[in-house]
Amino acid sequence: MNTSLEKLFNPASVAIVGATPKEGKVGRAILENFINRFRGRIYPVNPSYSEVLGLKCYKSISELPETPDLVVIAIPAPGVPAVLREAAARGVSAAIVISGGFRETGTPEGERLERELEEISRTYGIRIVGPNCIGIYDNWSGVDTYFVSKMKRPPRGYVGFISQSGAFAAALMDWMAYHNLGVSRAISYGNKVDVDDVDLLDYLGDDDKTRVILIYIEGLKPGRGRKFIEVAKKVVKKKPILVYKAGKTSRGGLAAASHTAAMAGEYGVYRAAFKQAGVIEVESFDEMMDAVRIFLHQPSMRGNRVYILTDAGGIGVMLTDALTSVGLEVPRTPSDLKEELKRILPPHCIVENPIDLTGDTDDERYIRVLDVLVEKPYVDAIVVVALPQVPGIKGTFVDHVVKLKSEYEKTIVALTIGSEASLEVARRLEENSVTVFESPERLAKALKALYTYSMIKSRGD
Amino acid sequence: MISVTPPKEIIKRALSEDRLKLLEHEAFELARHYGIPIPDVYLVKTPKEAYDLADSIGYPIALKIVSPDIVHKSDVGGVKLHLNSREEVARAFNEMLKTVSSRVPSARIVGVLMYREARQGLEVIVGGLRDSVFGAAVMFGLGGVFVEVFRDVSFRIAPITLDDALEMISEIQSKQILEGYRGQKPVDKRALADIVVKTSKIMLENEEIDSIDLNPVMAYDNGAMVVDVRAILRKVPY
Repeated sequence: MNTSLEKLFNPASVAIVGATPKEGKVGRAILENFINRFRGRIYPVNPSYSEVLGLKCYKSISELPETPDLVVIAIPAPGVPAVLREAAARGVSAAIVISGGFRETGTPEGERLERELEEISRTYGIRIVGPNCIGIYDNWSGVDTYFVSKMKRPPRGYVGFISQSGAFAAALMDWMAYHNLGVSRAISYGNKVDVDDVDLLDYLGDDDKTRVILIYIEGLKPGRGRKFIEVAKKVVKKKPILVYKAGKTSRGGLAAASHTAAMAGEYGVYRAAFKQAGVIEVESFDEMMDAVRIFLHQPSMRGNRVYILTDAGGIGVMLTDALTSVGLEVPRTPSDLKEELKRILPPHCIVENPIDLTGDTDDERYIRVLDVLVEKPYVDAIVVVALPQVPGIKGTFVDHVVKLKSEYEKTIVALTIGSEASLEVARRLEENSVTVFESPERLAKALKALYTYSMIKSRGD
Repeated sequence: MISVTPPKEIIKRALSEDRLKLLEHEAFELARHYGIPIPDVYLVKTPKEAYDLADSIGYPIALKIVSPDIVHKSDVGGVKLHLNSREEVARAFNEMLKTVSSRVPSARIVGVLMYREARQGLEVIVGGLRDSVFGAAVMFGLGGVFVEVFRDVSFRIAPITLDDALEMISEIQSKQILEGYRGQKPVDKRALADIVVKTSKIMLENEEIDSIDLNPVMAYDNGAMVVDVRAILRKVPY
């Protein structure tokens, strides 16, 4: 366990330096967040006030009645080193520096200030998130330095997020709130003067409340690549890591002395590293969130054999194309299964995979075939195409899908296309851990991610 | 044949002479030290020496000028290929020295590299590089248009196993070509993988090497042969 980070996420007390009653100020937004959700002790620090939002306000860290577990700093950059040094000297072991005005400014002054933070961290061993960041949103402890008041807070849940971009972290939280996807902890580390992606990955890897880890990364710190691979390899044995790498274009302009160096660019090497580490790389926002949904609710796949159950032949063909092109298999129905299906289906139904119940199907046909498929060890995943537009469907098969999903350790996902009736089916399935997609291609990519991770998890090394 | 100097010595010597690119024979020596298949390479100083050696090397023979001051050898007449007798070798040697010294009068000539040309095979490229984030890494790709136009290459962070290398080789888009097409036999992927693994070892064990190109490597249905080696050094290992 990366215990040195524990106080960043689970402090018993927090000091907020720069806390202010002034509307629209970062220091006020952060204080409000803590007042709303944090159950530990809160100490506003600001020499200009004796009270802020009903809490006693202190002139400095030294004046506090106790050494806080965590210090959040939201004051102009030039004042940060002194506050940090004071905190560290008092024995504070964790700090989040929200303030900007450091290396990112590209000025010698910003550079100097950042080096000072680095040196304080090294000298005192105080762990620092930031500077120039929105910090930590922890749904379980109530630590919330996301000073973006208009951002909806997602429900408590199991997705952990590490982001090099603060704005993207906030947008994603907002999006996840809207889609009712639960978050455990979301961290945006800004300039990563101390705590970086690798530390956070290690922490979330050991965190019981995090079941899926999502990383948005532009670049790791120089020299940290091997540690990243080492930590990721360890973590993926327990939970999937999804990574979106931004900045895929090559170093281009650099006149490389050799062919290999010219070819490398940054991305090729990152791709290789992700693969070696067992990290699943996603290439778009859709892919990222689809994969998150499938990982949250689906068990591992034992193989890549997918069976499709549909009431629309065309969708069956689209799915077959999509699944095959990502490297999954849509096998032919074995002869004994064919016989079995023929016995329970009207003769005009197609028992070859994709199994086509045809447009005159009722709920009963779905239920009967699902009962058979779910028992077969050679069926690694079932895709249920549920188009409710056909007249015979009343919707009872939906409950049956849900029942089978909860009773069997089998990957069952669904595809629905359409308006209200279709959305209603989707909602009922989604609420009961059956992952639903609207597009065959997106379903295929998500299923591929699940399969890839299942293989990574089961491998020996 | 070129002497077997330990890699550390070769590198130290180059750096002490302020050379950030190893000379051809040095780069070949380095590769040989790690068991990478290269032709028997000789550094000769006089036409007589070349003439006397030719028969024992076997034909066709290639000659290449070795000079720290010449980057693009063929542009200055510093490469002679497909020489099929000792007379041709001696004549080519004389011609080469004349052309080179008239085109680049200031160039220091270390000697002439002489070796039997490798049989044509499928050309692939193997490389090693040092990434600021991940450290030593290796690359594999098909030669020529595949690497230059399609950038169809794959990478791994070192160290790697033979299985990693095999996986990496099968990762390129145009891998079908390795399997043989138009009636050609599939190439020896194991031999290529072995070269990739050894390249990763070179990168790991020699911090001063910034990057290395084995380009081209001739891939055969049985075995492989590296035809050219280029190794770039860096001054401050970090």
